[in-house]
Amino acid sequence: MVKDEVLSGLILELRRGTIVLCVLSQLNEPTYGYNLVNILAEKGINIEANTLYPLLRRLESQGLLESSWVTSEAKPRKYYVKTQKGNEICNALKQHWDSMVRNIDRLWEVDINEK
Amino acid sequence: MKSDLIDRYVYAVTKNLPSKIRNDISSELYTLIEDMIESRCGDMPPSETDIKVVLTELGTPSELAGKYSPDEEKYLIGPQYYWKYKFLLSIILATTAFGLTIASIVTAIIDPEVNWYFAIPSWFAMMIMGLLNAFAFVTLLFVIFQRKGIDVKINSDSLDNLPPVPKKKALISKHESIMGIFFSIIFATLFLIVPEIFVVHFLDDTRIIPIFNTDIIKSVWYIIIAFAVLGIIRECYKLYEGRYTKRLAVVTVVVDILSALLSFAFLLDNNIINRDFSSAIIKLFQDEAEFIMNIFSRFNLFFLSVILFALALDMGVTVFKALKYDN
Repeated sequence: MVKDEVLSGLILELRRGTIVLCVLSQLNEPTYGYNLVNILAEKGINIEANTLYPLLRRLESQGLLESSWVTSEAKPRKYYVKTQKGNEICNALKQHWDSMVRNIDRLWEVDINEK
Repeated sequence: MKSDLIDRYVYAVTKNLPSKIRNDISSELYTLIEDMIESRCGDMPPSETDIKVVLTELGTPSELAGKYSPDEEKYLIGPQYYWKYKFLLSIILATTAFGLTIASIVTAIIDPEVNWYFAIPSWFAMMIMGLLNAFAFVTLLFVIFQRKGIDVKINSDSLDNLPPVPKKKALISKHESIMGIFFSIIFATLFLIVPEIFVVHFLDDTRIIPIFNTDIIKSVWYIIIAFAVLGIIRECYKLYEGRYTKRLAVVTVVVDILSALLSFAFLLDNNIINRDFSSAIIKLFQDEAEFIMNIFSRFNLFFLSVILFALALDMGVTVFKALKYDN
């Protein structure tokens, strides 16, 4: 159905901007990529590894995350953690998100009253 | 865990990535794939199918490589450059086509032994080569801009420089200007290549008499080209402005005065008209009014005054509309 395609396209767009917030929120402690996929999935946020891994890299190049290879375990893993800047941005984003949710909810209320 | 398929997959993903991050991504992918296989199979040894399922989940190598590439490298010419690219490309292609056409005509006229059956295909070949070169050059330039992140500014569209919305009557129809350019080219081409096609066929006579003295016309080819080029400049400027402005009025007056001077140079010479034509006309109208006789016996002056009238009209209309609408 065309309608389903439109809907899934819009859902994808809606999710795209929120993923950064989700990822940053979970990186207070050094975590490796695949673990982060599982942590987020447990909390109901499904991000595929092939989206998350490039995203982590991008956030690192923007200075929001820093990474280090840990080779002491069985497999070499790259651990990511929020930087100071990443923390500030994460908090600011969360505030924006909260106000956005409040405002959108209010839109909805007005809409119902008018009906 | 060793698998030829995984090796080939990781290699295919990373081979075109920037060398700085290639090894890093390669090791990260190996660990990721192992983790994914482990979470799928637990302690069981994975089958070929398991590996395939995991790799399919990650997407095709080119998809994954695309996700890893920096944004600015995903485009040959990205969205922030595209309209500038299109704008500049259209101007350069049009200029190239125009320049090559003029060059071909001039070359053909200068060459005393010109062979038109050969000249036209060679013009066509030159056009294709020239346009392809221009296209490649502009594209390459913008690819470099894209790669180096060079900012390109084409006529600044800042809020301070936005032109006012023109009144409807102040707009210049594009069709008229394009027709003007078209006729300038056609007219110049005919005059230069085959002035003998302007003929008069007298009904009571079997002769076909050319109006113009073709030798003289061909000897002053540069005036005809200059005349056509002036006309094309005027119409192009109209296209560029899109409405009557004071600037356009100034350009039009200058171009029209130059055109008038050229017409004088071209048509003051009585010899430009074929003598046979003049005498045939005089014979034809000898019983009629003296007025018509006078027109045709000095056909070059008649022709000149028509051109001057047209130029004066063009100047008058443009200046009038510019003063009225461009405040």
